[in-house]
Amino acid sequence: MIAKKVLLVGNFGVGKTSLIRRFVLNQFAEDYISTIGVRVSAKVVQYENTAIKLLIWDVAGTSGDEKIPKAYFLGASAAMFVFDVSRIETYLNIDHHLESIKTLSGLQNITIVGNKKDLLTQEELQLVVERVSVNIDLITSAKEDENVENAFLELASQAIK
Amino acid sequence: MIPAKIEDVFIQITTNFFGVIQNIIAGTFVKKEFKLQASIYKACPFLEGTLEALEPHTPFLLEGMLIISNSKEYNVDIELFKNDDNITVLIHNRTNVYKFVAQLNQHRNDIFFIKRELAEKNTELEKLRKIADKANEEKSRFLAMMSHEIRNPLNVILGYSEMISDEQINENVKEYTKHLSISGGNLKVIVNDILDLSRIEAGKLELVNSPINLKKIAENCIQNYQFQNKNTAIKLVFEISEKIPKTVLGDDVRIHQILSNLVSNALKFTTTGIISLKLKCSSEDEKLMNISFEIQDSGRGMTESQAFRIFDEYQQNKKTDHSVFGGAGLGLSIVKRLLKAMNGNISVKSELDKGTIFKIEIPFLKVISSEKIKIKKEENFPKKILKGTNILVADDDALNQTIVAHILKKEDVAVTLVKDGLEALHVLKTRVFDLVLLDIHMPNITGEQLVQQKDKFAKENKEIPFLALTANTTPEDLDRYKEIGFVAVISKPYTAAEFIEKIGLNL
Repeated sequence: MIAKKVLLVGNFGVGKTSLIRRFVLNQFAEDYISTIGVRVSAKVVQYENTAIKLLIWDVAGTSGDEKIPKAYFLGASAAMFVFDVSRIETYLNIDHHLESIKTLSGLQNITIVGNKKDLLTQEELQLVVERVSVNIDLITSAKEDENVENAFLELASQAIK
Repeated sequence: MIPAKIEDVFIQITTNFFGVIQNIIAGTFVKKEFKLQASIYKACPFLEGTLEALEPHTPFLLEGMLIISNSKEYNVDIELFKNDDNITVLIHNRTNVYKFVAQLNQHRNDIFFIKRELAEKNTELEKLRKIADKANEEKSRFLAMMSHEIRNPLNVILGYSEMISDEQINENVKEYTKHLSISGGNLKVIVNDILDLSRIEAGKLELVNSPINLKKIAENCIQNYQFQNKNTAIKLVFEISEKIPKTVLGDDVRIHQILSNLVSNALKFTTTGIISLKLKCSSEDEKLMNISFEIQDSGRGMTESQAFRIFDEYQQNKKTDHSVFGGAGLGLSIVKRLLKAMNGNISVKSELDKGTIFKIEIPFLKVISSEKIKIKKEENFPKKILKGTNILVADDDALNQTIVAHILKKEDVAVTLVKDGLEALHVLKTRVFDLVLLDIHMPNITGEQLVQQKDKFAKENKEIPFLALTANTTPEDLDRYKEIGFVAVISKPYTAAEFIEKIGLNL
């Protein structure tokens, strides 16, 4: 079985830990406890008949222009940038953040996920999609378990490319 | 030899390139998690994928990683170094440091979310405030309109009551018309109170700060009520301290309103004894003088709980006093709000069946001598006799026309009556007048439109005084009328005396 190191990055409070908890443990908690440093979880996924052990790095959320330590990206096969669809500041400078992550990680593609879709109406979500300057890969809800599995499968597909 | 305490906070291990532990070099930190020939990835899952990617002979630092031992989480920093044949892994326990980082981080993030929530709530509040403001404006507009609609017929009621009482009538009819006039007067007070309260609530109350003579205002107030009061068992007394200056800066109309309200209240609830109004200086400095006004009666008094609620709106209604004493129970609420706007205060002491004392205190700015001159000039403004003057009256309401004609004819005025603005314009082109009274809401040409067409009038009529005769009495209306060319406004409902006085002042 192949193991792939993948990272979840993005502003604090966007729901990275919640996405991982939902994906790995199928659990969700309303409480917000900020992540310190890195918390690594593992889960085996089947992707195109291949079992992949995803080593998921839950990287502490950043604020503003705060940089993620470059060391975290060593050996990473893929990264997911998570933003909160209900908080504009988490996707306002998404271009800039993605460029920074690509430079630090050396990765060509970053999976882009908008989380907390449960907080917006369909019309509001459409407005967010129009406002975000890049293509969003998936819009998820860790709370209501919507598209979470798909988001990680997308990440896995990026990891084995 | 490394001291035991230091041994406890680190562990140094060597692994092969696939993470298999080859040696435990030093330290005892979570040592039981690491077994020779076992994978380091079990205790350090973050090294899987990382070790393979290490650059040889290059130190590498991973900060803030997590190790779990005996179900306890430890925050660690890891130093890695890849040699030619193995990898050195140095693990430092930094849990104590990261504990504080975690707290600070959590607080920072919590504050962010609280601030965000506050901002959202503020936006929501702002929206609600705008909605409330709009509703309040609508209410004010509605009240102003209703006031206009009430004042016109009220003017007719009061006007005709006055006309009837001037006729040769028997005692019964005299008594009936007196009640008609009193009720009409009460209704006028209620309409004014409702409008005042609405304006204060909407934040539209603007206080004037001009030189005023407090002694004169208080004396006038007492004299008015002395004149109106027919109960000889009540004595009205006025006292003023010598310390009170002749002039201070303030709003005479509102001070009069406050005192009138309190004296009128005292009269309502007193059947025998004394009602006194006393003015004293409570304190002063270079600029300000705090003046206290004490209104004491020997009336029926109140219980403590009644006194506690006395400044709330509609209190009189709740006690079913309305039917006995008239009024909507708004007076004291308005007094309290007016005083608040003047940075003043009011208190009440009362004892059942003994009487009540209202004490108000207002800080007044002292005046400089030049301002005193101004007040004297206003007081000495001359009134002219109406007899023999030519006055044009334009009003589409026949009943109001009749009242005006009746009052003016009694003063031997030559009155010309027209029923709208167009007719008024026609006569103003061809005939000469001394003064013009215009209703505002008239068909064809309104009073407002007409007063702005002076260039079309006969030359002699261009300089004569135009007075608005209207039930629109909001300060905004009054200001506008003055701006467009009216010299004064006679507000409906009016008494014959007020009407004559206003015309006399402007001829």
